Amino acid sequence: MGHANEDLRPDNNDGLSSDNEPWSEQDDDEGSLSFDDSGSDDSDEDEAVAGESDSSEDEVGPRNTVGQVPLEWYKDEEHIGYDIDGRKIKKRDREGRIEQYLRNADDAKNWRKIYDVYNDEEVQITKDEAKIISRLLKGKTPHANVDPYPDYVDWFEYDGKGHPLSNAPEPKRRFVPSKWEQKKVVKLVRAIRNGWIKFDKPKEEPNYYLLWGDETDTADNKREGLSYIPAPKPNLPGHEESYNPSVEYIPTQEEIDSYQLMYEEDRPKFIPRRFETLRSVPAYEKALREGFDRCLDLYLCPRTRKKRINVDPESLKPKLPSKKDLRPYPRTCYLEFKGHNGPVKSLSVEATGQWIASGSSDGTIRVWEVETGRCLKVLNVGADVHDIAWNPSPERPILAAIVGHDLLLLDAEVGDEETKMRTKELLCVDEPTPEDDADGKKPAVRWVKHEKFDGITLIHHKAVKTVEWHSKGDYFTTVVPTGESRAVLLHQLSKKRSHHPFRKLPGLPVAATFHPTQKMFFVATKKFVQVYDLQKAEVVKKLESGLREISSISIHPGGDNVIVGSKDGKLCWFDTDLSTKPYKMLKTHKKDITSVTFHRRYPLFASSSEDCTAYVFHGMVYSDLNQNPLIVPLEILRGHLSLDRRGVLDCKFHPRQPWLFTAGADSVIRLYCE
Amino acid sequence: MPKHYRPAGKKKEGNAAKYITRTKAVSYLQISLAVFRKLCILKGVFPREPKKKVEGNHKTYYHMKDIAFLAHDPLIEKFREIKVHRKKVKKAIAKKNRDLADRLLNRPPTYKLDRLIIERYPTFVDALRDLDDCLTMVHLFAALPAVEGERVQVQRIHNCRRLSHEWQAYISRTNALRKTFISVKGIYYQAEVQGQKITWLTPHALQQVLTDDVDFNVMLTFLEFYETLLGFINFKLYHSINVNYPPILDPRLEALAAELYALSRYMSSGRLPGNPETNGLIKDKETENNEEGSKTVESELRLAQLQHQLPANEPGTLMHLVEESTADDTEDSTVKECRSLFKNLKFYLSREVPRESLLFIIPAFGGTVSWEGEGAPFDETDQDITHQIVDRPTQSHVFLSREYVQPQWVFDCVNNCIVLPTEYYVVGRVPPPHLSPFVDNDEVGYTPEFEEKILKRLRAASKDKVLPLPGLGDEDQDNSMVDARSEYNEVAEKKRKLDMLEKQYHEELKMEIEGETFSSLANKKGDNPTHAVDNDAHAANDQVDDLVEQAKKDEAEMSKSFVSNKTEGLIRAIEINKERKRSNVELLKERKRKASSSASAKRK
Repeated sequence: MGHANEDLRPDNNDGLSSDNEPWSEQDDDEGSLSFDDSGSDDSDEDEAVAGESDSSEDEVGPRNTVGQVPLEWYKDEEHIGYDIDGRKIKKRDREGRIEQYLRNADDAKNWRKIYDVYNDEEVQITKDEAKIISRLLKGKTPHANVDPYPDYVDWFEYDGKGHPLSNAPEPKRRFVPSKWEQKKVVKLVRAIRNGWIKFDKPKEEPNYYLLWGDETDTADNKREGLSYIPAPKPNLPGHEESYNPSVEYIPTQEEIDSYQLMYEEDRPKFIPRRFETLRSVPAYEKALREGFDRCLDLYLCPRTRKKRINVDPESLKPKLPSKKDLRPYPRTCYLEFKGHNGPVKSLSVEATGQWIASGSSDGTIRVWEVETGRCLKVLNVGADVHDIAWNPSPERPILAAIVGHDLLLLDAEVGDEETKMRTKELLCVDEPTPEDDADGKKPAVRWVKHEKFDGITLIHHKAVKTVEWHSKGDYFTTVVPTGESRAVLLHQLSKKRSHHPFRKLPGLPVAATFHPTQKMFFVATKKFVQVYDLQKAEVVKKLESGLREISSISIHPGGDNVIVGSKDGKLCWFDTDLSTKPYKMLKTHKKDITSVTFHRRYPLFASSSEDCTAYVFHGMVYSDLNQNPLIVPLEILRGHLSLDRRGVLDCKFHPRQPWLFTAGADSVIRLYCE
Repeated sequence: MPKHYRPAGKKKEGNAAKYITRTKAVSYLQISLAVFRKLCILKGVFPREPKKKVEGNHKTYYHMKDIAFLAHDPLIEKFREIKVHRKKVKKAIAKKNRDLADRLLNRPPTYKLDRLIIERYPTFVDALRDLDDCLTMVHLFAALPAVEGERVQVQRIHNCRRLSHEWQAYISRTNALRKTFISVKGIYYQAEVQGQKITWLTPHALQQVLTDDVDFNVMLTFLEFYETLLGFINFKLYHSINVNYPPILDPRLEALAAELYALSRYMSSGRLPGNPETNGLIKDKETENNEEGSKTVESELRLAQLQHQLPANEPGTLMHLVEESTADDTEDSTVKECRSLFKNLKFYLSREVPRESLLFIIPAFGGTVSWEGEGAPFDETDQDITHQIVDRPTQSHVFLSREYVQPQWVFDCVNNCIVLPTEYYVVGRVPPPHLSPFVDNDEVGYTPEFEEKILKRLRAASKDKVLPLPGLGDEDQDNSMVDARSEYNEVAEKKRKLDMLEKQYHEELKMEIEGETFSSLANKKGDNPTHAVDNDAHAANDQVDDLVEQAKKDEAEMSKSFVSNKTEGLIRAIEINKERKRSNVELLKERKRKASSSASAKRK
């Protein structure tokens, strides 16, 4: 049975079992070795081992039957144990050490003897056993003649052995057709019949046919979906891509080297080369790469329609009306007024247009006759003249000049005797304003008689910057930028009275001016222009310039339009009826605008700047409210020289003629005429 | 769920509703990114640029309508089927079900692109308009190595070769080629078909290397579409000249890699039925191939097809001949010109010359051509040969009856539409620079020397020759030229008058500056012509010029002060662009000057 079992095992098991067989034999030998007592009858034992391996221990059992108890228990006894019949086994007499030694020395076989403590006897190992031990110690098989790897011999004969593995009777299903197979077949048959499974190769249809048949019907031939944006075509090659380009298309070695210094995206993608003959042209190594890039562009790049503007830049600029139609306007320098020794800081034109007055930082005020250029008068006031303004009333030829810190009102002495008389009356202060107010506070302004020029000095509490007359010629205003709540002052000449109605301003005031016709007042701070109603004493409007720093302001004679010049060279035109934001912003000057001014009669305005130029504009304001003002730049007036980085310091129009006076830092006053 | 259900937070209108990012589109369509790419390529869907990029600037946006357009395409379902089929095959193989696997492999799901083509290009002209990329791609793949085991299937490459040759044969046959240009990248051709200018690039006939830096999946998807498109276009074109498509070629010529010649033969044989030469050739081939057992069967089959086709063509060709004769009259002058450029010239190509390109170009311009090698129509020893094209340093044996020229001569002749003198292109000589015909020299602002000095003159000379000949088109041209000239004259006249006026104005201005009154001015006007050369006047003149210059500058500046920031930027951009162009031209001139000076120094 066991054999049969072994045979049924797969082949590899057979090999294993064949290995086991010799080893089991050897195990048995070992057993016989360890418990062998007699040692004399080797051959008998060998036979016994071969016959019945397991029972060797029982047969040649030990004489002593005490079992495996510690022998110490018998240490003091005479016997060492009991034999199989129950008789005591006597201990042998002890030999003396010397005797033992002597015996051992005599005996040549002494090394083979082993003392068996258990049985209390000496055992002699046979030669063969000694050999086995020595072999075992060396880690070899105990018997020298054992082959550890013998060839396998399959002892079982298979053929002709009609023994079934199982004796069970054949099941019925072995003789009945399979139901599962039948189902499968039915399925397949149905699939084939219905054409779900096809065995023949599919028929090849013609690949190409006339896809675009007749194209007469255009309505049908429209692409559906979103509008198609065709991809831009690749650039056509230029001369430089030729295999044999002209010499000038080939960059020099230095140029090629310099490409390395450029940014990668700026670097030219293609470096022209020249080949002498067509046969020496190599394959283009980037052909596939470029094809691939094009593919990527085609399906990955977002496409939009972009209108490419291929226009003349001139056409983008606004079309301005012809300048000839806008004449007259000042174009060329007609006269130069020379005489000042320092920069002319300010000038003013008399109401009739016959005289001009100019104030310079050389400490003089000069009065000139316009037509001849003759200097009528030189008034040495002894300090810088920051601003000067002629009284707009022709009956009162009075000059208001800011000399040093204070304002000086003086008679220009240009009228006839009667006006001179009246002026003298006006310019006399009966009782000077006391130094201290009733409250013990220093007054903002004190009217004091000026002895030298027979005029009036208005002593302000702080330095005055600008002065401006009302058109009637009785009121005037001065601005003290650092004056805080008393920064803008209103003065009345006839009553010699001053007051400061504006307590609170949005920033430092720069300039102030009167409305030409109505009782309105404009104060320009650094960023805003406040419009006050003087009767109601309230703010009407606040114009937001958006400029960095306003430097000057001028009101259109109509009163609804304001121009403002700034220190960043921009000029704002406000249409106060339209909005509080600038109607137009003109980026004209490169440097600070020093002054802006409107002409009283002609539709002209001008701006002067530190960059030594003055611009003249046409600024037409229509009475029709629906029509926006028309602004046309007309002329750039040059001629002044730059001195100490200052250019034109002031500009004023002639009250009647289209003439412009400019005061330059080069101590010259110029008159520009048509 | 109701039809109009809109998830909460989803926008109803505006850019957020109109555009969808790519990731969202892919998940919306429930397909993989690879399939999405393929779909986009085949359907011609491209990203759009929304006015406001709702989900970030760095994302790609598709229009929702485009995505819906993709979603409705049956191709998506087909791609899913293919995926499923692939899985089935894999499973069958894994289960060792060989039968099933074979059966499945026999009938893979396929799809056709003809519907897509008609959808993308509803009219034939639309398709021609977009043909540039298609042709370039097909020609590029035709030049790739047809090696088994590479990333591109051999069959695809053969197909590309076939399609490109068919296209070239048509162009050559109808004399539609207009311009050619040998560049470093390859040879550019420009043809005119149905009024559309089609430009394509053919790589040089050298082995291309397949590089790793390209994604062949993308390219092959493009190629798939392009192959189909070009096939249908070729069919339509062949149909229009009454030739059967696909053409059946002489296998012997095909084997010799002279498909183009074979094709042109096929086309002309379609015209002249019962061409004895062809038949003889085919018989030759038959006897040759008799030994090769399996191949003969195939070739006989083809032969049968061919013979079957020839009589079928007969009535059509007759009709066509009639048509041709009538069509000739209506053809425009350029086609006529192109057809007659190389008329009565016989070319012979040496071994080292790029054969395919010249076999295409020369017949396209009416010449006859042969080459060194088997299957050539005539020998090198043929006495009628007028030009032999050679690209070697020296020619050992020289026939006196013909001229030996370099290949560039042919290209330059074609571009200038005249037969150039061969003296510049003689063997062994460095040929003159090869110039691109696609550049508008006037627009660039620089004309290369060769163009300016020689080609222009030659062209003008040839025109003169043509002018006296009576011809409808030429006369028209002449008239228009005369018109143009008179117009130009008028303009010039006007300009001169304006100049005069301006000068006068300046003069007056000058007077004004000098502070003279009008009366004296009148006096001076009388004097002025008498002493024309006056130093003082000169100085004043200069001053006036300065002033005028200043005035012009002022004007520009003043008008600039009125321009809005946006327009100002635009103006600046235009100016920068102009400046760049100018500097480019400047650089060319500088290089030219240096080159010529160094050349002259060498000569000394």
